[in-house]
Amino acid sequence: MDLLLRGVSHRYGDTQVLADIDLAVGEGEIVCIIGPSGCGKSTLLRFIGGLERPDAGEVLLAGEPPAGSLNPLTYVFQDFALLPWRTVEGNVSLVLEDHGLSAARRREIIQDVLERTGLSDFKGALPRQLSGGMKQRVAIARALSVRPAVMLMDEPLSALDSQTRELLMDDLVGLWQRERFTACYVTHNLAEAVRLGHKIVVLSRRPGKIREIVEIDRDLADRQQADAKLEAVQRDLWHLLRDEARAADRELADDTV
Amino acid sequence: MTKLSKRSMLKTLAATALATACALAPVVPAAAADKVTVGALRFTSHAASFVAFERGYFADEGLEVEFKFFQAAQPMAVAIASGDVDFGVTAISGGLINLAQKGAIKVVGGALQEEPGVDGQMILASRAAFDAGLTSPATLAGKSFGITQTGSSFHYMIHKIADKEGIPRSEITLRPLQKVGAVIGALKTGQIDAWTIVPHIAKAIAAGPEIEPIGMIADYIPDYQVTTVFTSTANASDKPDLVKRFLTAFAKGAADFNAALVDKTASAQEAEDMVRLIHKYVYADRPFEKAAPSIRNGAMRINEGARLNLTSVTDQLEWFQSENLVPASVTIDMLVDASFVETD
Amino acid sequence: MTLSDTPDRASARAGAPPQAESRLQPVPFRGGGFRPVRMRFVGPLVFAAILLLWEAGSRSGVISNLVLPAPSEAFEAFRQLVETGQLWRHLGASLQRLVIGWTLGMSLGVAAGLMIGLFSLARAGLMPLVSALFPIPKIALLPLFVIWFGIGEGSKVATILFGSFFPTVIATSAGVDNVDRSLVRMGQSFGLSWWSIVRKIILPGAMPAILSGARISASIAIILLVAAEMIGAEYGVGAYILMAGSLFATDQLLAGVAILSVMGLLVGWLIGRAERWLLRWRS
Ligand SMILES: Nc1ncnc2c1ncn2[C@@H]1O[C@H](COP(=O)(O)OP(=O)(O)O)[C@@H](O)[C@H]1O
Ligand SMILES: [Mg+2]
Repeated sequence: MDLLLRGVSHRYGDTQVLADIDLAVGEGEIVCIIGPSGCGKSTLLRFIGGLERPDAGEVLLAGEPPAGSLNPLTYVFQDFALLPWRTVEGNVSLVLEDHGLSAARRREIIQDVLERTGLSDFKGALPRQLSGGMKQRVAIARALSVRPAVMLMDEPLSALDSQTRELLMDDLVGLWQRERFTACYVTHNLAEAVRLGHKIVVLSRRPGKIREIVEIDRDLADRQQADAKLEAVQRDLWHLLRDEARAADRELADDTV
Repeated sequence: MTKLSKRSMLKTLAATALATACALAPVVPAAAADKVTVGALRFTSHAASFVAFERGYFADEGLEVEFKFFQAAQPMAVAIASGDVDFGVTAISGGLINLAQKGAIKVVGGALQEEPGVDGQMILASRAAFDAGLTSPATLAGKSFGITQTGSSFHYMIHKIADKEGIPRSEITLRPLQKVGAVIGALKTGQIDAWTIVPHIAKAIAAGPEIEPIGMIADYIPDYQVTTVFTSTANASDKPDLVKRFLTAFAKGAADFNAALVDKTASAQEAEDMVRLIHKYVYADRPFEKAAPSIRNGAMRINEGARLNLTSVTDQLEWFQSENLVPASVTIDMLVDASFVETD
Repeated sequence: MTLSDTPDRASARAGAPPQAESRLQPVPFRGGGFRPVRMRFVGPLVFAAILLLWEAGSRSGVISNLVLPAPSEAFEAFRQLVETGQLWRHLGASLQRLVIGWTLGMSLGVAAGLMIGLFSLARAGLMPLVSALFPIPKIALLPLFVIWFGIGEGSKVATILFGSFFPTVIATSAGVDNVDRSLVRMGQSFGLSWWSIVRKIILPGAMPAILSGARISASIAIILLVAAEMIGAEYGVGAYILMAGSLFATDQLLAGVAILSVMGLLVGWLIGRAERWLLRWRS
């Protein structure tokens, strides 16, 4: 299933947040969206997920969602958004309970998805017992359990320390190779974007406009750490972003209200 | 066991010291008036004290009286026990007996009494209960009866009625409602079936359609000593002379009151004067024309010479003990000091 | 690290003081405190000491029996209550009123609190009303309750119900307000139904606040018991206390008050257990 954005613009009150965004996300593709903080990345993702409506423009889906998809557009949140009173198993179960599945079928799905994310041993644990990395793995397992057509990931690794982030990136690469999921991946971390993105969309400072779309055709599995070409891409991206980031940093918070 | 509160002890000490000082002093003023605090409720039944004060009978006895007014008999009894007040008039209640048992207060005379020929307390039924057959106290079994508090005079009266009618006490449901006003409301709306109350209230509310009189207390508790005069044990034992003088003046006030409003042997003018005198204390918030009938209706005899019906008081004490409301160890001597007035 | 071994550097590495040995001083300690330490036996000890002193004062006559009866007398009054079987009648009557009134008050309060938390219209309409009615002492409304609900069980249950309703509403709506909105967005993003979100996310999220509201409302219910049983109650702990008061049976009065206090402790303990069980997902 493909995703298409046409002329998306939006303002909160007097503040223009996004201006005229055109974007296509193809099936099996990870599109990374980067930009300085406050440029409207999360807002854009909310439009894509149908949690909010843009003032102008449209978000379109092309084609049918894969068979058995319970929730075609599925989020993975920066703060994990796990229910603290439910176990790992219970948190995954939560998103399956409203779909009229039999209890046995649900158990089957949960078991399968926990195995795929390496969480089987933790199914009875409560979120407070888990490290940040494990929590985000649970959130990813939860997202996978509903067989999404597109995963919408809003800075999924930003709340983690850098070692954990590396581990999870490896996990995501492994997962993508097995499942070939489609994803919109918002981040402000250039290394993540270069590591995971097939396409990298660079947004300008508010109002967010597309400054450039960088395509990286190297296979995800082949992107080693000290890759000269990737480092060059990352350097170019930083070049694009540096002035925007500096200006964004100096904006008064009051301006945004 | 005669334990005294600190306050009354201090007062006693001070009084003794003063007496000694006076005895030693070379020149003793002939009429150094004793200061006395009298507790009162703003009811017609307390009129004897008001009359004695207004007509100078207290002053004649060398008493300098100051009134302290209360909303209910309960706090007045406490004030006497604590020594803040010297004399009071109220019905015999469980609270009063328990204070007497603790050695704090003593009954020294009688005030209001039921007697044949004078309008006394009435037994009332709600309209609904009356229509359903509660036309006489004989049919009170299974009915509910309003009282202010457990161990109040209402509680005593309904059990005396039950005993005389041969109804087991437990077959009448008691409804403690704390205040007379609440009982009246409950009776009017039929939430309780029956109640007893003094004649001036009874006559006023039975005049409406919601409430019917079904009997007289005098038929069940003959010679019922409704209220008594009481003082602190310290006064009774250490200052018998003071108590005697108080009772003498009180009795004079009572005699005037009876003559003017109960026996009506005095002139119409004197009755009018009496009502005006009482109006200074009772229903003072209402205009005289409105207050006068209530004052006249509420007039019940106050015992001549403050005499005390010891038989009735003994019966009441025994009832409180039978209901376990006061300890079985209380004797009539703990409650009453019968040395001041005539008893029967 | 490779450092050239010049003498002064060597001594610095060994940590030798630059000053004379005599000038050495420990760093002054400025931490500690501000952290309650659990002391199990102090509470009961203080309690026992007060009782002992009190009893001794009563026996020796320092404390007049009129002013305050001895603890042993209050205990004796309690023993009599047990022996005559009256205790169970009083307790039974009171517990029934408490349980019915408090359960109804809690249920209605949670429902109203949820409404206020979930619907802006309900919030705008009900919150000012709740704020206006909460501080009214329910005792003041007793005469009205008697007219509305009669002098039977109705007015007693209503008094306790009203008393426990308002703190529950306030606690619940505050609890709903405090539920992490990102969890709600998560539920929506997975297509959960409105009712599922309320049941599985909002309600459990507001549960800590609801339970601490329950603690307050249960105490208020016990406080109101005496008021509730002022009108027309033949049995009940509150009625017993009122009777003892009107009889000046101060020993019975204290026994009754002690029963209330134990009821309060017990309810607090039960709610503590419920908290530990329902909120075991918290650390
Ligand atoms: N619900 C909202 N109401 C008003 N302003 C908002 C809202 N959400 C975001 N904004 C503003 O829109 C801008 C973009 O926000 P966001 O999309 O969160 O940025 P990013 O995720 O790129 O850091 C910010 O200035 C933010 O303050
Ligand atoms: Mg963001």
